Amino acid sequence: MAYKAQYYPGTTSVAANRRKHMGHDLEKLREISDEDLTAILGHRAPGQDYPSTHPPLAEMEEPPCPIRELVEPTPGAKAGDRVRYVQFVDSMYNAPSVPYVRSYYAAINFRGVDPGTLSGRQIVEARERDMELVAKDQIETEMTDPARSSLRGATVHGHSVRLQEDGVMFDMLDRSRKEGDVIIMDKDQVAIPLDRKVNLGKPMSEEELAKRTTIYRVDNVSFRSDAEAVEWVQRVYLQRTQYGFRPGVEKAQ
Amino acid sequence: MTCPTESGCNCEIAESGRETVQIEIVPQRILNPETSEKLLGRIYDCDGIIRVSIFGSRLPDTVGYGPGTGQKVNHPLKKTIDVEGQQVNMRVSLGRLRVEVENDETALEIKKICEETFSFPFEFYKGTYFKKHSTVVDYAKMGPDADERLLGMTDPKGKLDQIIFIEKEEKDSE
Repeated sequence: MAYKAQYYPGTTSVAANRRKHMGHDLEKLREISDEDLTAILGHRAPGQDYPSTHPPLAEMEEPPCPIRELVEPTPGAKAGDRVRYVQFVDSMYNAPSVPYVRSYYAAINFRGVDPGTLSGRQIVEARERDMELVAKDQIETEMTDPARSSLRGATVHGHSVRLQEDGVMFDMLDRSRKEGDVIIMDKDQVAIPLDRKVNLGKPMSEEELAKRTTIYRVDNVSFRSDAEAVEWVQRVYLQRTQYGFRPGVEKAQ
Repeated sequence: MTCPTESGCNCEIAESGRETVQIEIVPQRILNPETSEKLLGRIYDCDGIIRVSIFGSRLPDTVGYGPGTGQKVNHPLKKTIDVEGQQVNMRVSLGRLRVEVENDETALEIKKICEETFSFPFEFYKGTYFKKHSTVVDYAKMGPDADERLLGMTDPKGKLDQIIFIEKEEKDSE
């Protein structure tokens, strides 16, 4: 029987959602065009070629190296793209994803990415076209809700701030807001105004968010209610403390 | 009353002689300017309001840092609201409110106003929320004979022009 990777323990909906995010078993909920994505990321003008930081690898005379021969470079590295970032903020009020899960997702499913995890935000650095793939995938799928998750490159806050009356995560720089039924973004990640309004789609309902979230909360699915997850987290912590992750030491003693 | 720090200095703290009630209201959502205007308007309509302090996330005019530094923000929550006929510029969103009132009846009246105004849950506390004694910063800002009602009305780094004086119209009692 072929081995199937098991990414996260637990029997609750939160644990199942975490497994879905990490294993890239994601439902696509909305579409965002490449031009709109480029605009809200704000690293280059929509339609502009990818600026490069070095010539394409094929034109460079690389030293003989078995590792370079073994590892196929990512499209961005092959073309010599600049390294650029995408940064997500997820509200603690049942946002679909959380920074740790986003980092696992990026590291497991993409090559050449450098995920950075913080308490309320998560950044991925990669070659520009590789980073755009990661960003687009997250924005278009159930990993993101336009009202509870947001792209924020500067003044990155909102995770632990109370929601606005309309249920949208607060942003002091007003990058995105609810207009009618949908959330629109008319500024890029760092709050520079755009010449367009990018439609990020309809926000999810409270029930939908509670169903899709990967955040354990006492007012939704509490961590302590997931006996399997608690058992495995305790096991990892215990073994890390006792043996520093050296399997076999326990038996030898 | 002698210095509460017991440092041996001879400074004297003025006693207010007033028995007031201080309350804190924490709504579960950040309020819209319209709701803020309605809430503050109804609170100021009550008798026995001494002072009100608003807390919340800052609403800047321009982007403070990053590549977009200096760009205008134009936040929809940053509006001028009308409180008792006075135009008040919202520098922060209304996320928390502290009110000093004269008695428990007024505090209960404010609680009722909150229940009627908010369409979401809120927390309501009674306690001590305003400073009782002048600090060095207060002394530097306001001097030795400052009105004690000004104490604790701004951030330590805030300026006194953040305080807005709302004058209540005298009711005709004659």
